[in-house]
Amino acid sequence: MISVQNISKTFGKVTAVENVSLEATDGKITALLGANGAGKTTSMRMIYALIKPESGQVLVDGINTHDSPVAARAKMGVLPDARGLYKRLTARENIVYFGRLQGMTEQAIKDRSEELIERLGMASFINRRTDGFSQGQRVKVAIARALIHDPQNILLDEPTNGLDVMSTRAIRRFLKDQRARGKCVLFSSHVMQEVSAVCDDIAIIDAGRIVAHGTEAKLLEKTGCDNLEDAFVALVGGEQNA
Amino acid sequence: MNLKLLKTVCFKEILENIRDRRTVMSSIVMGALFGPILMVIILNVTINMQQDKAEQQLSVAVVNQEGAQNLMRFLVSQDVDLVTLEGSPEDAIKNKSHDVVLAISDNYADKFSQGKPAKVLMYHDASAKGVAKVSVNRLRALINGYDRSIGMQRLQLRGVSPRLLQVVMIQEHDQATKESRGAMLLSVLPYFLIMGLFMGSMYLAIDTTAGEKERKSLEPLFLNPVPRDTILAGKLAATVAFGMLTLVLTLVAFKLTLPWYPFEKLGMGFNMGPKVMLIMLLVLAPLALLAGAIQTIIAAFAQSYREAQTYVGLVLIVPMIPSMLLMFMPIKEQLWMMAVPILGQNLVINELLRGDAVAWDAIALAFVGTLIVGLLLAWIAVKLYNREKMLFAD
Repeated sequence: MISVQNISKTFGKVTAVENVSLEATDGKITALLGANGAGKTTSMRMIYALIKPESGQVLVDGINTHDSPVAARAKMGVLPDARGLYKRLTARENIVYFGRLQGMTEQAIKDRSEELIERLGMASFINRRTDGFSQGQRVKVAIARALIHDPQNILLDEPTNGLDVMSTRAIRRFLKDQRARGKCVLFSSHVMQEVSAVCDDIAIIDAGRIVAHGTEAKLLEKTGCDNLEDAFVALVGGEQNA
Repeated sequence: MNLKLLKTVCFKEILENIRDRRTVMSSIVMGALFGPILMVIILNVTINMQQDKAEQQLSVAVVNQEGAQNLMRFLVSQDVDLVTLEGSPEDAIKNKSHDVVLAISDNYADKFSQGKPAKVLMYHDASAKGVAKVSVNRLRALINGYDRSIGMQRLQLRGVSPRLLQVVMIQEHDQATKESRGAMLLSVLPYFLIMGLFMGSMYLAIDTTAGEKERKSLEPLFLNPVPRDTILAGKLAATVAFGMLTLVLTLVAFKLTLPWYPFEKLGMGFNMGPKVMLIMLLVLAPLALLAGAIQTIIAAFAQSYREAQTYVGLVLIVPMIPSMLLMFMPIKEQLWMMAVPILGQNLVINELLRGDAVAWDAIALAFVGTLIVGLLLAWIAVKLYNREKMLFAD
């Protein structure tokens, strides 16, 4: 359960995020939908406590990420915008390294990696060095690495960006599995079909503000559109703003 | 700070960098072997050249040989090869066709027979390097010898004891030992040792900070429930470990190349026993911490690997400063100097090279002084990463 309350961030004179609030509840997939540069990555970075919001707060399972970032991070599994695998390590070594940093026992790391290798279909490349991996292989390893400690809250920044159909479907299936297990999933995206296909709740962000929040049906009803893309364009104030 | 997590980070950085052959080659092999091997080659080549020149037949270009036939006969009897010079002596020296040219003045024979100083002109280039000097000195010694022997004969002919000319006799007592003469030769050693450890940690300092930022793996790494200072401390530990490894290898490489130093030919000696090596290691070890920390701090401010390489490369000049200073300026060492990082190491190692027993308080001061500065810099490096600006390359 992630609760974001009125967070803001400015970089110099540019206001990147202003007064953003949203709730991501357990057992649901929540999307942060916005165009490029709308403030998705900055919002996500504040939510996963990498940077400090100038005002407002973020609670992860009731823990204030600002006051106790280390405890809050233990409750989260994050796939950041930057996948950043270690190229000189194998996929498995990448995953094990993060397991150790999560403070897991070697046995727990082993069991959990086997499970993730199975679920994400990584068996064919798990013992290879990640240098030269395809985009899809890289995202899978990065997800496995982020979720090695089986966190309750899963945050992903544009998880299917640049992936082919097969990889995209594999990731979607994986996220739906996680939802079924009662996890709280929050991901940011600018791809309408993506959001439409997997999300229960959608928060639309534009120019650093949340302009609408609700289920897809609710957003369509509110705007009177028959698809999410049209609804999105209507909500962010028309195409002239793009 | 959680030591287990620190170790996890440290071991991962070491594993990752050992797999990068280029890093291992450049930092460890270059850092450790470059200095000792370069020293062996340079010393041997110069000494062999000088020795060859000293043993070879001396060749002297002479202008106006007929002017001083007696002197010429003497030189030939001393196995000097006399060459008649065509052209001006100035040009012969300038275009290096001869090391030294002897010109006999026109009135040499007259002055000689009158018992007045007869002039010969010696052309040479006093700023010439190396072996040319050997020829000049040999010729000067020969002419001085001739001068003395003729002078003595003249006095004896007049019934005067040549000893009257010896008013003061200098008896030299050179207090230089074999070791201290060797120390002069080896005064670049501290520099190579310090340089080696700076080079050894350089690539890790860059790779674990600016490199990781450039590869965008810093963000996912910091998302783990590990305090940033623990992660940085782990990285710094790996960096320092590489510096230490290079240091140990440099010492071993130097020890192993010692038999190839031309000490015998120079009447010099250097005894590098286990105790000397251990003291060197002891005073240099905290410098590895200092080097790693400084390099990490500088690399932290760089946005890319390349930028970091430029800045950190400049830091390699720092260890040169005290070594250069000591080479050209004979500083009277004071105890407090031992506490100054790099300077203290230079002084202690120079004393060891001279074969002097180094006082334990000097060693302790060099160790503690550098350790304190190193720890302070390490603390700054570790805390730097609490700043958000340090995290992203974009």
